[in-house]
Amino acid sequence: MAQQANLGELLSMLDSPVLSVRDDVTAIFKENLNADRGPMLVNTLVDYYLETSSQQVLHILTTLQEPHDKHLLDKMNEYVGKATSRLSTLSLLGHAIRLQPPWKHKLSQAPLLPSLLKCLKVDTDVIVLTTGVLVLITMLPMIPQAGKQHLHDFFDIFGRLSSWCLKKPGHVAEIYLVHLHASVYALFHRLYGMYPCNFVSFLRSHYSMKENLETFEEVVKPMMEHVRIHPELVTGSKDHELDPRRWKKLETHDVVIECAKISLDPTEASYEDGYSVSHQNSARLPPRSADVTASPYVDTQNSFGSVTSTPHSVSRPMSSTPGQLPPPLSSPAPRLSAEAPQATLWSPSLMCGMATPPTSPGNVPPDCPQPCSKAFGALGGKGTPSGTPATSPPPAPLCHSDDCVHVPLPPPTAAPPRKEERTDPARPCLHRQHHLPNDRGLEELPGGKGAVTLSDLPGFLGGLASEEDSIEKDNEEAAIYKELSEITTADTEPLVPRGGFDSPFYQDSLLGCPRKTPSATTSAQGASVHPEPLNASLDKLGPDTPKQAFTPIELPGGGRDQSPAGSGEHQTPLETRILTPSPFRVPSQRGAGFGSGQPPPYDHLFEVALPKTAHHFISKKTKELVKKMPGNAEEACAPSASPLEVLDRLIQQGADAHGKELSRLSLPSKSVDWTHFGGSPPSDEIRTLRNQLLLLHNQLLYERFKRQQHAVRNRRLLRRVIRAAALEEHNAAMKDQLKLQEKDIQIWKVSLQKEQARYSQLQEQRDTVVAQLHSQIRQLQHDREEFYNQSQELQTKLEDCRNMVAELRLELKKANSKVCHTELLLSQVSQKLSNSESVQQQMEFLNRQLLVLGEVNELYLEQLQNKHSDTTKEVEVMKAAYRKELEKHRSHALQQSQRLDTSQRRVLELEAQLAKKDHLLVEQKKYLEDVKLQARGQLQAAESRYEAQKRITQVFELEVLDLYGRLGKDGLLKKLEVEKTEAAEAAEERLDCCNDSCSDPVRGHSDTVSGHNGETRPPRPGSTRGSGGRGGGGSSSSSSSSQLSTPEKPPTQRAGPFSSRWETATGEPSTSIPTTVGSLPSSKSFLGMKARELFRNKSESQCDEDGVTISSLSETLKTGVDMGMEAKTPLSPDGPRPAPPSPDSVGQLRIMDYNEAHQEHS
Amino acid sequence: MTEDSQRNFRSVYYEKVGFRGVEEKKSLEILLKDDRLDIEKLCTFSQRFPLPSMYRALVWKVLLGILPPHHESHTQVMMYRKGQYSDVLHALKVIRFVSDATPQVEVYLRMYQLESGKLPRSPSFPLKPEDEVFLAIAKAMEEMVEDSVDCYWITRCFVNQLNNKYRDSLPQLPKAFEQYLNLEDSRLLSHLKMCSAVSRLPYDLWFKRCFAGCLPESSLQRVWDKVVSGSCKILVFVAVEILLTFKLKVMALNNSEKITKFLENIPQDSSDAIVSKAIDLWHKHCGTPVHSA
Repeated sequence: MAQQANLGELLSMLDSPVLSVRDDVTAIFKENLNADRGPMLVNTLVDYYLETSSQQVLHILTTLQEPHDKHLLDKMNEYVGKATSRLSTLSLLGHAIRLQPPWKHKLSQAPLLPSLLKCLKVDTDVIVLTTGVLVLITMLPMIPQAGKQHLHDFFDIFGRLSSWCLKKPGHVAEIYLVHLHASVYALFHRLYGMYPCNFVSFLRSHYSMKENLETFEEVVKPMMEHVRIHPELVTGSKDHELDPRRWKKLETHDVVIECAKISLDPTEASYEDGYSVSHQNSARLPPRSADVTASPYVDTQNSFGSVTSTPHSVSRPMSSTPGQLPPPLSSPAPRLSAEAPQATLWSPSLMCGMATPPTSPGNVPPDCPQPCSKAFGALGGKGTPSGTPATSPPPAPLCHSDDCVHVPLPPPTAAPPRKEERTDPARPCLHRQHHLPNDRGLEELPGGKGAVTLSDLPGFLGGLASEEDSIEKDNEEAAIYKELSEITTADTEPLVPRGGFDSPFYQDSLLGCPRKTPSATTSAQGASVHPEPLNASLDKLGPDTPKQAFTPIELPGGGRDQSPAGSGEHQTPLETRILTPSPFRVPSQRGAGFGSGQPPPYDHLFEVALPKTAHHFISKKTKELVKKMPGNAEEACAPSASPLEVLDRLIQQGADAHGKELSRLSLPSKSVDWTHFGGSPPSDEIRTLRNQLLLLHNQLLYERFKRQQHAVRNRRLLRRVIRAAALEEHNAAMKDQLKLQEKDIQIWKVSLQKEQARYSQLQEQRDTVVAQLHSQIRQLQHDREEFYNQSQELQTKLEDCRNMVAELRLELKKANSKVCHTELLLSQVSQKLSNSESVQQQMEFLNRQLLVLGEVNELYLEQLQNKHSDTTKEVEVMKAAYRKELEKHRSHALQQSQRLDTSQRRVLELEAQLAKKDHLLVEQKKYLEDVKLQARGQLQAAESRYEAQKRITQVFELEVLDLYGRLGKDGLLKKLEVEKTEAAEAAEERLDCCNDSCSDPVRGHSDTVSGHNGETRPPRPGSTRGSGGRGGGGSSSSSSSSQLSTPEKPPTQRAGPFSSRWETATGEPSTSIPTTVGSLPSSKSFLGMKARELFRNKSESQCDEDGVTISSLSETLKTGVDMGMEAKTPLSPDGPRPAPPSPDSVGQLRIMDYNEAHQEHS
Repeated sequence: MTEDSQRNFRSVYYEKVGFRGVEEKKSLEILLKDDRLDIEKLCTFSQRFPLPSMYRALVWKVLLGILPPHHESHTQVMMYRKGQYSDVLHALKVIRFVSDATPQVEVYLRMYQLESGKLPRSPSFPLKPEDEVFLAIAKAMEEMVEDSVDCYWITRCFVNQLNNKYRDSLPQLPKAFEQYLNLEDSRLLSHLKMCSAVSRLPYDLWFKRCFAGCLPESSLQRVWDKVVSGSCKILVFVAVEILLTFKLKVMALNNSEKITKFLENIPQDSSDAIVSKAIDLWHKHCGTPVHSA
């Protein structure tokens, strides 16, 4: 609650007259809005606005940021539904969307749009309808693609309202209808511009019905006269124009301009083609002088509006102020101007750029600045308030001069009304009312693009006596302006452009600077100076006007700069005034009256500047004038007049009447006031007027919106122009560069030629040198060949010589060989010679020997013959004997040799036999070996078997003894027992032996075997010890004594156990051992030893040599012997008895002892 | 002549394809045809090639000296052997050391004890370690040799050979084992050493029992071929090969007890391969014995 209360307080504070408080509160609200995302605050603000329609709240609401837009739209949607709040909500909406908030695209989805459409379809209040339609028209270019779903709604609304215009249902006042008609007309333009195909098809279908035919004839058809054929009708289709792609590349202002392009209405269109059309239109206008003047003015203005950029740019370089544009812009300008004459009729820039400057100066009658300035001053004074709220910052209540400092140009115009408002708050109501119609008229001003002013002025002039009053009034205001301007101009010098300025104005202010300086300087001049800035400001109010206003001013300024500076300030305002076309033409026309002779003063200038267009224009204008001359009261018969114009006219008339009344009656009584005016009852009148005011305000706002869109577009166009200029400049620079490079190329070419020449020269030089060298080479070659030939000849000669030498050598060799051969022959021959000589000598010697031998032979023959006769018989006998003897020997030898042969043969035979036998022997040996091996194998097997058998026997023995042992334990017969225990003991002894030799069974076994065989062998220490141990026992002695005492008995008894043992233990070998000896096997047992000792003692005498052993034995068996001796003494009688038993055995024993002794000895 | 050429002609391919023992059988038959069997040749043959199973018992008996080299005396000697066997058996039965219910292996043991004179006083006396060895070998032998007489004799002679001929070389085998394992796979050996398992390996099982009970009989007899023919070194290589084959598992175990336990119960499936590889390894390290002839 506290917060709400706080809110209420704040809201009430919003409208407080104190500016700082307002600002603070506004800031607080904005902060809250930033912090709070809820709908509460927005709702409260909307409520408050609807209650009070506070400007501050409106400002806050229209600048709402993104998250709050939904709340705002929801709230507005809510209020649009209510009839009471509908109008104010719509106006709020209009305010909001005209500022083009960032969330404008959301409008198409917002529920507000359908409800707005619904309201437009249903509502019957003309004011609401008009407002709504204007809002809708404003909204349409922002949401072009949304048209798709609502298109038919739009068309329906159009159809409904157009029929409304005609049928006037209910009590609707005629005056409202004019407004409504105007808005419907705007809607028509918008729809036709945006959706031509759909719209046309709608028109076709809707007005083909009979009940609508009249509406068509009366309302729609005239509208259609003001539009051209839309190009989309030819190229596009219904679907294409709804295609979002088409709208995507178009911005809001583009859409607006698009729509304006197809219009033929001079008040609506922005196309220069409208030039001629407007003439026709104006021709049809009521033949009022104002209209006549208006149409040309509009034309020029139109042409200016579309061509604004060129003069603007032209003016730039000239301006001495801080130029924002680069100098390059200057270049296109002259070119453009140069091309101007060749430009076609419709080309806007050229026409304007060229046309305006010349026309105005020519037209200006230098003597009429005063009235016209006054009139404009008044207009300006009234016009500004409407311009300022949108563009200028909120006025400072206390110091208006501060404001003026920031707003260089508008302030002079804006300040006065504010001042009026502020300084004269207590001014009579009438004064306010006087303002109101004025305001209304001024609201139309931007829409009419100056046409209103023009028509307004004629209204003034054409009025009755009110002219003087108005002039007076204007004079008053002009005086105020003067004051203001005096205040402001002093401060305008330091130009501080404020960021908050609307761009067109901002630019204007900058551009206006040069112009201002003169105005500042000439402020002393008084009222005459003022019209100029006023005019400028007035012109600037329209979106197109600024440039229009500047060009004329700027151009002469530039001209001034070029002209001698001494022209003075006095001239500048004049010049500027002269240049502004609108004011001038009006006064001129006014001054000239309605006469047809008016044009001539500047006609020639037109012809000079615009050969074609001017002519065209002038001829048309003259025609119009001629037409208008005859009939003045043609008002009614202008059915094709644009609704806007109708509205304009209405406003003009209203303004006239109002002006009259105001001037006449300064009293605030309304009844008196308005009874003069028309037939409507006074009670209604105020409401009607208020509504009208509202409607006009709406219209104004709409037009302002359009103007802004134009401005936006202009800025874009300007940017393009600048860019084009820059490109142009760039191009020129490139060309320069190109030229430079071409120059370079030329230089290079020249140098190239030079180089080529030098090169050719060098080439020639080289060629000559080469030729020279070639000739030298040739000569040298020639020489060489000669030398070669010479050498060749010498070579052949050399060859010949060599051949000759070789031949000679060959011959030499041959000769040598011959010599050698002959030498050889010679030596041979000499040898032969010597040989033959020696042979001769031998022969001689032999011959001599032969001789000697012959003599000896003869001698011997003589001797032989002497002896031969007496020895022959003897010799013969001897020979025979020898012969016989030889025979004998020969046969003997033969015999011998035969014998040798045989014996040799025999030897050989025997040797062979021997070898055979040896072989046989070896084989036999082998075989024997084999057999031996075989036998050994078998023997081994048998042996092992035997071993096994032995083992088995042992085991059996063991077993048997074991069993005996058990039997003995059981207790049998005593004797048997004794016997058996003995046997068992013996067996045990044996076993012990076995056990002792357990580690080496084989040896032990052999021991036992040897023990069996050789009883004489001394018992082993172990056994003696064992026996000795037993001998110690009394029982054993008794048993032994008993055994000894009955020596005869035991054989059989003893034989029992022992023989059995023998049989098993010894097996085969037992056979070779005599039983008697075998019966004394006690060599091991104690008894046996005893017996032996006894025997030994007896036979000691017989065999002394045994004594050693016996003594040793006795020593070893001391104890046993002692025992034995003890036992012997009682047995002495029996002593001889054992001796006889068997001397053989004793002998045997002895032998054995011998053997033993022998063994021991050995 | 034709037979000979055919055999030669095929033998080339047998070798190439890897069939062993086809040619060997024939040559063994040739060897066995000799009247006086050349024991040295038989030894060499047995070391070089695996014996055909049908001649294994005969060759073993000859090599172990159960049968003399002469064919003539075979029957007689065999008769002796049988007689001895039945005598000993009878004796044991008489002293009620064995009965019909006594397992054959124990019968063999008692017979052996009797023959060597080591028969305890009572059958209930605890067995000595060498008796356990005998039992293991006899058990393996029982699987290899069908005839009980043969079996007893071969077992007896085999054990005797171990006890007499190899008495000195058997204790050397662990050292040789370490040496060859180091040659083949030093990492494994170091692993074993790290686990201090080298000294704890089942040497008794490997070398005293000659793998009896460790390897299946089918592969064991191939090892014993070599042992019977006079080489106890093969045992080392079998042991090395067992470790190599189960290297991964052994490497995974790091406790000497576990290793020993694992080695005492090695899987039987790969024993054939182990033996083959071991024989190759043995040939590699000790060279292939060549016929002295």
